[in-house]
Amino acid sequence: MHNRPSAQRIEQDVLSAMNRPSPRYLGCILLAGLLFLGGMGLWGRQIALGMGVAGISHPVGWGVYIADFVFWVGIAHSGTLISAVLFIFRARFRTSFNRAAEAMTIFALMVAGLFPLIHLGRVWLAYYLFPYPNQRQLWVNFRSPLVWDVFAVSTYMLVSLVFFYVGMMPDLAITARHRPGVIGRIYRILSLGWTGNLQQWRHYAKLTFFLAAFATPLVASVHSIVSWDFAVSIIPGWHTTIFAPYFVAGAILSGTAMVLTLVIPMRRWLNLERYIPVDHIEAIAKILLLTSLIVSFAYIVEQGLAFYSGNLFEMEQFRFRALGDYRLLFWTMVSCNSLLPLGLFVRRLRRNLTFLFVLSLLVNVGMWLERFVIVVTSLARDFDPYAWGDYTPSLTEIGVTAGSFGLFFLLFLLFIKLLPVLSITEIKER
Amino acid sequence: MARQLFFDDEKAFLEQLEQLLADGTPRAQLQVRMPYHSAKAEELLEGKPSKVAGFALGGALAGFGGGFLLAALTSLDWPIITGGKPIVAVPPFLLIGYLMTILLGSLASFAGFLLLARLPGIDALIEDQDFEPRFVITITDEVAPCTTLN
Repeated sequence: MHNRPSAQRIEQDVLSAMNRPSPRYLGCILLAGLLFLGGMGLWGRQIALGMGVAGISHPVGWGVYIADFVFWVGIAHSGTLISAVLFIFRARFRTSFNRAAEAMTIFALMVAGLFPLIHLGRVWLAYYLFPYPNQRQLWVNFRSPLVWDVFAVSTYMLVSLVFFYVGMMPDLAITARHRPGVIGRIYRILSLGWTGNLQQWRHYAKLTFFLAAFATPLVASVHSIVSWDFAVSIIPGWHTTIFAPYFVAGAILSGTAMVLTLVIPMRRWLNLERYIPVDHIEAIAKILLLTSLIVSFAYIVEQGLAFYSGNLFEMEQFRFRALGDYRLLFWTMVSCNSLLPLGLFVRRLRRNLTFLFVLSLLVNVGMWLERFVIVVTSLARDFDPYAWGDYTPSLTEIGVTAGSFGLFFLLFLLFIKLLPVLSITEIKER
Repeated sequence: MARQLFFDDEKAFLEQLEQLLADGTPRAQLQVRMPYHSAKAEELLEGKPSKVAGFALGGALAGFGGGFLLAALTSLDWPIITGGKPIVAVPPFLLIGYLMTILLGSLASFAGFLLLARLPGIDALIEDQDFEPRFVITITDEVAPCTTLN
């Protein structure tokens, strides 16, 4: 960084984001809070009235809720990519994003974790998903991909939480020094009395390395396992070996887009331009471009394989996706995920924050549509024409989805005011 | 009585540390506090590698074995064939073992870190000790042969 600021200046600049909230911030909190409460209300209504208020039925038994689950797990991915994978590769630009991306991972997983429960209908039976000794002498079916999902997402959540907390311990101690009275004491307790002595740093460095090493395979494995929810079935359009890498690339694409969606306004509103330089944002844009190309390749491959296979059901499925009832969603998906990101080949656009922000929003729209298209079209047109049918999400499903965005943004907004949004320690170090 | 030296710059801090060691100050009399991790300072003052690796390995092995056995033994406890798969279906059970490797490896590493770094630091919490923004060298023996203090 040019004109390197002093340690005190870095601390003050980053911690000033935690000062008294502005009316604009409170307005955002209110909006996100209302969306969340609306979604919760609709979920409550669904619990009271039954799953009939959702649009899912035969033959499309998995709809928006499962698309939401896959979308939010995907959003979570870039946090681990930025914090763990880029840590292993010693990419310096990660320090501009790692804290926000790690927080985003946790909040996205919290939101994602709700959707299997919402989809379950009888949410009070959710504990059946976990293996525990019980009077029925029944255990979960470990051969089912849905149980793999429970283990994958729970592991991901816990490892991400530990990584997030460990990375923040020194910064919590810095915050404690800057905050007087009871609030400072709370931060000190949260930092576990961190003083930065040699013993602490020595083991901390090793721990960070091991956590990164453990978390790195999760980047590939968690969304692979999510993809197997589909790929181990025999449904046309789902039963394909490319699903795991295709889903992982898609997850990183949507995750990096969400990082840009959150960090570009945050950088400006919290006056963090000095610590999140455009060069670093450009590096994230390059990851977005790369993953967009991988996803586009996957789109082409799955279409190509379907027709090359000569399998009538596969061919009909992919014809249906591109030309059937959901074609508008399919082509919007292709435009947002494959065509628009091509603009990032132009350096000037990669460094244009307005373009990047708008693109990130569109990529997120595209990625949500991708999940919808994958989940719904295959069920709507499987083997037997007699069982074909269409699906339109109900207002309850749309409202619950909007509520999930409300919850995610509410948690992120609270994070901005309660915890340091950048890793002060790592910025001092770089 | 202990003396403390403060540095804003890592380079000056390391030079002073090297000087103190070259002048014969025993490592046991030197304590440092740093605003971020300095591998060089660790190299100068600590010869032995951190034992967090042992916790990571132990947790990972326990996780793998425990995860696989959890899946296998619970399946044998209620031996019902589903999806035409064997009762002990190795590929999916390896997956559970893999996920538990990561989970327990991470949690054991964290537990090991807390144990080895002596956290929570009760003294620091009671005495409200701050995490200094500067590099600090504390020489616990007043007769330390140091000549270039600033």
